[in-house]
Amino acid sequence: MKTVFLVDDSATILLSISNILGKAGYATEKAGNAEEALKKFAAGIKVDLLITDLNMPGKNGIELIREVRKLPAYKFLPILFLTTESQQSRKLEAKAAGASGWIVKPATADELLNTIKLVIR
Amino acid sequence: MDELTSVFIQESREQLAEMEAGLLVLEQSPDDPGNGELINAIFRAAHTVKGASGVVECHFIENFMHKVENVLDRLRNGEIPVSGGLASLLLKCGDHLTTLIGVLEAGLPEPAPADQATGDALLAELSERYLASAAAGDTAVSLRDSESGEVMASGGGIVVTDSWHISVRFGRDVLRGGMDPLSFLRFLGSLGEILAIETISDAMPAAAEMDPESCYLGFEIRLQTRASKADIERVFDFVREDCELRILPPNSKLTDYLKLIEALPEDDMRLGEILVRSGALTQAELDEGLNAQRDEAPLASADNPPHIGEILVDNKVVQKELVDAAVGKQSRIQDKKAVEARLIRVQADKLDQLIDLVGEMVIAGASANLLARRSGKAELVESTSVLSRLVESIRDAALQLRMVQIGETFNRFNRVVRDVAKELGKEIDLVINGADTELDKSVVEKIGDPLMHLVRNSVDHGIEAASVRAQNGKNVRGQIELNAFHDSGSIVIQVRDDGGGLPKSKIRSKAIERGLIQAEQSLSDQDVINLIFEPGFSTADQVTNISGRGVGMDVVRRNIQSLRGSIDVSSEEGIGTTFTIRLPLTLAIIDGFLVGVGRAAYVIPLDMVVECIELDSHGVDRDFLNLRGEVLPFIRLRALFELPDDAPPRENVVVVHYGGQKAGIVVDQLMGEFQTVIKPLSSMFSHLRGIGGSTILGTGDVALILDVQALVQRNSRIEEKTLNQASLARAS
Repeated sequence: MKTVFLVDDSATILLSISNILGKAGYATEKAGNAEEALKKFAAGIKVDLLITDLNMPGKNGIELIREVRKLPAYKFLPILFLTTESQQSRKLEAKAAGASGWIVKPATADELLNTIKLVIR
Repeated sequence: MDELTSVFIQESREQLAEMEAGLLVLEQSPDDPGNGELINAIFRAAHTVKGASGVVECHFIENFMHKVENVLDRLRNGEIPVSGGLASLLLKCGDHLTTLIGVLEAGLPEPAPADQATGDALLAELSERYLASAAAGDTAVSLRDSESGEVMASGGGIVVTDSWHISVRFGRDVLRGGMDPLSFLRFLGSLGEILAIETISDAMPAAAEMDPESCYLGFEIRLQTRASKADIERVFDFVREDCELRILPPNSKLTDYLKLIEALPEDDMRLGEILVRSGALTQAELDEGLNAQRDEAPLASADNPPHIGEILVDNKVVQKELVDAAVGKQSRIQDKKAVEARLIRVQADKLDQLIDLVGEMVIAGASANLLARRSGKAELVESTSVLSRLVESIRDAALQLRMVQIGETFNRFNRVVRDVAKELGKEIDLVINGADTELDKSVVEKIGDPLMHLVRNSVDHGIEAASVRAQNGKNVRGQIELNAFHDSGSIVIQVRDDGGGLPKSKIRSKAIERGLIQAEQSLSDQDVINLIFEPGFSTADQVTNISGRGVGMDVVRRNIQSLRGSIDVSSEEGIGTTFTIRLPLTLAIIDGFLVGVGRAAYVIPLDMVVECIELDSHGVDRDFLNLRGEVLPFIRLRALFELPDDAPPRENVVVVHYGGQKAGIVVDQLMGEFQTVIKPLSSMFSHLRGIGGSTILGTGDVALILDVQALVQRNSRIEEKTLNQASLARAS
């Protein structure tokens, strides 16, 4: 079973995405902020995909992506970030930080799952 | 309501509180250069609510917050200046959001027309004042919609094929971006059928120079699908910036294939062969095309780029990049250490269930203890006592789970004080102490309203108008303090103001007017002040809409008493007033002291018990005794509850104290301390005074829990009455 690591400061988003993924047969790990996520990465968490929000209190998503990419174990980890139309501009920044792709919020379950299928085999 | 919606509602309220806190600071000091992070935090909160509202498909909240977010976005980007007016308007938007969340919580499909109108008015004001100049910028991003009719170049015959042709050359860094080229291919396969695929590895350097982490591959793919061009392109969305991608629709013109061959970095002939091999072109088509192109070649001048179609494509790419880059530089990143506690959200009723079970365990433990003691087996007694110690620890830990900090409740008053003070034209600071003091969640929930009343009272009646304060030599800015702290098993919450104090003479005359006291009755200062807690008392000359809501201090007191708490007031004219609320730490379980009267058992909350003494039955015909030189009034439970049997020759007195007063409770037997779960009395018994609840003993018997506060107060009232009667008797 593939495991998807979700990082978002919104409990609503975390719950809704993990519901969708759960139904589609993915396991999920969750963190409410970048610091918590980094702690789990530092501890060597085994995941197949990271999905993170960009706008979070404390370290933001872009910093998270940059730091995860620096860890040798996660050099090639697919990373998707959640974004909204109004944040179009930040895609470039996040890509430069090492993200693989993005999911535009709000996404339907199909859009979400399709995007995930695109980056993990 | 589903779980997602309730999580959303709770989260939105939290975010809203954060927004409000930020906006209040912003309103007070709009010019502070350090506001950047604050504005970011406010934006983030609004953004989270909007995003989450989309997820739960609550469109009225989403639509409303969309505009609010836009304004905050402009504020964040420095496009509009920070101003007190804007902060006030945004605070009103926050209020409206509260309403909308309420609508969602009530399960209504949309807000009432009046609320809708309020929201529309707010949005209109936001748009007009803060979004007007931005409207033009909104349209710039929709360039990619008009791509369908690509490559309308002239010349060349139609290539007979019903499949798409995709040429892709991946960028070197695609692996390092976490992307796997194979996953693209697999995904393409899910769109339709891949008829042919050729791997192009021409870019692969010699092994010595090759970087294993770089990607050197490209693919030529023939894909049969009903998907649109946009769908196919979307597959490559994530790598578009750094890969070369060309997509030819089915039945493209031959020249388009030729252009493709030319544009790709590899050798033309080889690519031609690949296309033939993959079935995109026939050899004849390729030959024809190459010939035709040779014929046309002299016409195209060397300076002009030869292919208009390609220019179009390129233009689009350039424009897209321009658009992206133009907005690309923002987001100041501040390395702020997150201090947020690590939290797990648990549904409150699960906790209640746990506490309930722990309660049952406490009872069962008590029963086991009792049986063990009766059996007289030392080992059994030993092991049950270990067990009960553990149960006690579990009880404490479980109760701790329900403890929340009172800070959140206190922080609400920032807004209240600000709003009310503004309305009254007063300047008032709110000082909060002990925000981290913890108490039971159910207590916190219920204490909000009484506190609100007290704070509003302090702002409205307590703090004087600025001119009066200046006259009296006080600081023009009034101060209201909210304090919370623990004090011997209970939590104390104080509302203190440095206002004019309670006007005793006014209270007195009002009380006489209302018939609460007799004109000639002599009362101590404290008694006069306490009159404000009497039902139907209000001193405001004018009923203002701030505190004169028809709810008097008596209701406040009743609410607090229903929490097994008490409220006291102390006041000095000209200096200020302090309301002190005492509350039990929890409502569910108490340490009790078990006593017996006749065959009935009663429980006295242990933290109120001071000592136990033997009642000397001889010479006690009055209801007080001499406790080391102090007068101690007491109550005979047997008489109070009208128990039929006679008192035994030896009786005991449990000395209790409450709110600075001491009293004795006369009982037959002292049966020791034990912890117990409070079971509320049914509403049938709610009028009973002196009993706060019931509990079940280890033996299965029911014991009533005494309401010590009510007993003490009753006692002192009786005492006063007899004193009054005595003094009246003396006077006549």
